[in-house]
Amino acid sequence: MSGNSQAELNWHGMGRAVVRSVEEKEVDGEVRLRDVGVRYGRRVALEAVTGDFVAGSLTAVVGANGAGKSTLLAAIAGVVPLARGVVACAPRSRLAYLPQSAAIDRDYPLNVVELITLGGWREFGAFRSPGKGLRARAAEAAETVGLGGQLERSIGEISAGQLQRALFARLIVQDARVILLDEPFAAVDAQTMSVLLDQVSRWHAEGRTIIAVLHDLDVVRARFPSTLVLARRCVAWGRTELALPALAA
Amino acid sequence: MSAHTLIVAPFESLAFMRAALVACLALALANGVIGTLLVLRRMSLDGDVLGHAVMPGAAVGFLYAGPSPTWLSLGGLASGLAVAALAALVAGRQARRDAGLVAFYLVALSLGVVLVAWRGSNVDVMRVLFGTVLAIDQRALLQIAAASSIILLAIAALYRPLAVGAFDPAFLRAVGARAPYGLIFLALVVLALVVGFQAFGTLLAVGPMLLPAAAARCWGLGVASSMALATGFGMAASVAGLLVSYHANLPSGPAIVLAAGLLFGVSLIASNFWRRLVPMIGGRN
Repeated sequence: MSGNSQAELNWHGMGRAVVRSVEEKEVDGEVRLRDVGVRYGRRVALEAVTGDFVAGSLTAVVGANGAGKSTLLAAIAGVVPLARGVVACAPRSRLAYLPQSAAIDRDYPLNVVELITLGGWREFGAFRSPGKGLRARAAEAAETVGLGGQLERSIGEISAGQLQRALFARLIVQDARVILLDEPFAAVDAQTMSVLLDQVSRWHAEGRTIIAVLHDLDVVRARFPSTLVLARRCVAWGRTELALPALAA
Repeated sequence: MSAHTLIVAPFESLAFMRAALVACLALALANGVIGTLLVLRRMSLDGDVLGHAVMPGAAVGFLYAGPSPTWLSLGGLASGLAVAALAALVAGRQARRDAGLVAFYLVALSLGVVLVAWRGSNVDVMRVLFGTVLAIDQRALLQIAAASSIILLAIAALYRPLAVGAFDPAFLRAVGARAPYGLIFLALVVLALVVGFQAFGTLLAVGPMLLPAAAARCWGLGVASSMALATGFGMAASVAGLLVSYHANLPSGPAIVLAAGLLFGVSLIASNFWRRLVPMIGGRN
């Protein structure tokens, strides 16, 4: 581990984001959790989660419904406030988060290439238009996930699998150091799943940190070297073959 | 009857018709963009409720200064913004939200009517409920034009975050766009409703906002084109409604809202017909 980007780490905790320089040696791409807890009203969704996602790791997050898996991802992404503890991770501009696709309004008048181009948000922001280079990158990303011929179709016309491919293409354009995926293979066909899993492997090979909430344990065993088993608290966290048996226990 | 007598003469000969036309066209500019975003954000009911939220404040303004457009607007703006802020605070708590909105709508409307009737006449109550588009004076006209300009400029500046927030709010939050865009948008809706209130009253102000936008949305265009079409529909409904009210001696505000409603009905039927026709003649959808 080298320590060349400590000051870039973004700590957020207790409901607000604060940036602190970190004294320990770390690399950009690591995600550290310290005593993380999240509450929705009086209901405890997550408590006392502590541990590190090493830079460049590929981790599956598994657990029963209501175990706090999606909440953990949202907490790392900084879209839900923490009730206690701290999350330290790459700055927001180096972090990409894909929530469950049900959150997207598919009646919205937008075509596939426009959706993918949004991945370059941190380059053009709220007030400028995406440049030509970005559009070319969007088209290239669409090609990578097998959507080359669908660029001009509206997001309401394409299938659930094609929408998920488009959202992965948006992640490719985002070019983030840390990628958070919430049930990325729910409601997609086998062929799409294979294309998307290949993309996850490519990201892993490129040294990005990937954290994915998954239900399919066969996929976890076959493609994810590390696993975190959650039941509101951390039940097991480590190499998949060692951690996964804790889910059945 | 010549086309000139039918269409041009009423505006040529009567100053109040010209003022009403300019006011309605200026409102159509603001309502086209605000209404389209309201429809896309699935907030039509919220728009309706905010329309009534203006009522108690406008009534207090009326009690204080009589039917002065400035005091009606200031009162309406204050109560509208207070309710918009309240709505944004409870936005996360979806349970029983629709019942809460409807309860609020009824209470705000009743409170406003009671307050106006307490000191005013039945004519004043009707004026607050249905507006007085044919009694728009120069001061009210300037207020409408200024508010419409502010709304257009603000939407132009915040167009992208408002558009993205409408279909994928989680993405907007995750990329760190943390400004309270939803709240700013609600404030703009209240501003549009307050100036619309003078012309159309609390019951109808949301009509010229939502109906042209809903009509434009039928045609499946992009966001910017939908806004342009909604503005065009709003302007057409204004001209048609004013002329019908003049020639048939009908109340103007309701006539304009009916014309917009007619455009919505026609758009709904014609766009469905068009979608079936295009594949048959071999065109692309």
